[in-house]
Amino acid sequence: MTTTASTDPHPTASSLMDPNPSVLHPSDRIGTAIGTIMEHRYRRLPVIDDEGRFVGVFGVSCLLRLMMPKAVVMEKGLESAPFVRESLADLHRRLEQVKDEPISLCMHEEMVRVSPDTPVLETLLTLYKNRASLPVVEPESGKLVGVISYFDVASHILEAEI
Amino acid sequence: MAHGTEVMDVIFGLDPRWYAGVLFCLTYLFIMSERINRAIVAMIAAGLMVLGGVLTQEAALQGIDFNTIGLLTGMMIIVAITRQSGIFQFLAIWSAKQVKASPWGILVMLSLVTAVLSALLDNVTTVLLVAPVTLLITDSLNVKPYPYLFAEIFAANIGGTATLIGDPPNIMIGSAVGLSFNDFLFNLGPIVALLLPAMLLPIYLIWGRHLQAGADARQRVMDYNEADAITDSRLLWQSLLVLALVITGFIFAHDIGQQPATIAMFGAALLLLISSLPRSPGDQSRQLEKIFSRVEWITIFFFMGLFVIVYGVERTGLLEMLAHRVLELTGGDATMTTISIIWASAVASALVDNIPFVATMIPMIENMGGLLGGPEALRPLWWALALGSCLGGNGSLVGASANLIVAGFAERAGHPLHFMRFMLIAFPLMLGSVAISTVYVYLRYL
Repeated sequence: MTTTASTDPHPTASSLMDPNPSVLHPSDRIGTAIGTIMEHRYRRLPVIDDEGRFVGVFGVSCLLRLMMPKAVVMEKGLESAPFVRESLADLHRRLEQVKDEPISLCMHEEMVRVSPDTPVLETLLTLYKNRASLPVVEPESGKLVGVISYFDVASHILEAEI
Repeated sequence: MAHGTEVMDVIFGLDPRWYAGVLFCLTYLFIMSERINRAIVAMIAAGLMVLGGVLTQEAALQGIDFNTIGLLTGMMIIVAITRQSGIFQFLAIWSAKQVKASPWGILVMLSLVTAVLSALLDNVTTVLLVAPVTLLITDSLNVKPYPYLFAEIFAANIGGTATLIGDPPNIMIGSAVGLSFNDFLFNLGPIVALLLPAMLLPIYLIWGRHLQAGADARQRVMDYNEADAITDSRLLWQSLLVLALVITGFIFAHDIGQQPATIAMFGAALLLLISSLPRSPGDQSRQLEKIFSRVEWITIFFFMGLFVIVYGVERTGLLEMLAHRVLELTGGDATMTTISIIWASAVASALVDNIPFVATMIPMIENMGGLLGGPEALRPLWWALALGSCLGGNGSLVGASANLIVAGFAERAGHPLHFMRFMLIAFPLMLGSVAISTVYVYLRYL
């Protein structure tokens, strides 16, 4: 009998993940990546190098970051800027200035990840703490082998017999 | 009395001067290498000074200048609370709008705001507050932030020179020698007022005359509503009231027989009390934790360790010996000694942290008193040390903590201040400011 995540007594991250996620590459243009994100309404996508190694994520938070002045999004920058009056055109102008830059300019590199062997409870806890989908990365090779979303985990749990 | 005559039971029977001297030099080397956090280096070296037998624990505690520590901590707490009101952003935006958002006008105004705030607060705090607003304004103006950040570094170090509380070297000198807030203001204030425009002139010639911004960009800055920067008007008035009381306290400290640390710490406690009054006990604790987390504990512990190390070296008589050597080199001439101190302090402070340098120089200069004619004869030397060590910080990116903070902001904003590019202009400008200060000290005191 084949063991699935819902029947496996000790499932791990590898049995819960989507093994064929959409991915980006560090050299992809910001404008192209924004188009992909907006079209499919992704919150964020993993970024891999030519050898398939996970190098970071690019998503809507990068998009928002690029639209705003660096002074408010940088580390130790302004905590708030209620005095600034900007138009939508001002925000768009900033995005236009970087649309031909590679996504490596803005991708988030310090990303929490799980390994394929991470037990289900630890995977769930990591998801809960980070509030976003998780890359599943082989510890030795650094290769991305899949992505786990809330919905992947929840659907497997709801399918499990009590 | 020479401290070296004390009997010290140093580990392995080593000569106390050798043990303390080598430990001191190693401490300097590790601080300069920046491989290990400077507070950790100072704490380890202070511990070795006691464990090695140069100092007892009681003597080590005597060596710590708690007036400096209290003054620094008190002011850090006051600023940590005050900044929550938004007053510093208000000042920066208001000043930018006074010059109709003209790019050069904004550079001058932000430099003035930085200089004045640096005189009343510490430089690091000032640039932490002003640099992000500067980057926001230059982003709206669509101009390169480099000249603005360069000018603010200079303004912070020059402005901080004007008062007892403006720069850590002044706090240390004032505390060790008993120089008051007014002493610093009346003796160093005039030269600072001269140095600021003298610094802006070359900046205008190098960058200022080329700064341009379109009408749309200037309008974006004019559209800022500075009143919205004030996020807590009640806290603003409370903070301004306490700051005014503290500054008044500093001015009259000598007359009322109080030390600056008492005034700063009491001011901090008063502001903590009145800003906490409407909160529940639980809220007060959370707020207090937040405020205390903004105190720069790394600086405080660095100072404490450093005071112990320098006190250990001083007790061995090494600094007295060095002071005599310096006087031999200058022929015991007060003018030559003063000028040597201002230039040596400036060059040293441009290259290494000025805090350990000043901590070492203070007991050395004190030891010159007997040969130069008593404490009054040392006055020009103190002003020379203050001017040299504060202004010298402008000479390179590593010359002062404020420079590194601004460089960090510039890097994160995508406009790095490269070490050599900065130094190529900053070092000659710094030498110019020291030359003006030398003339001032000579004409006024020698």
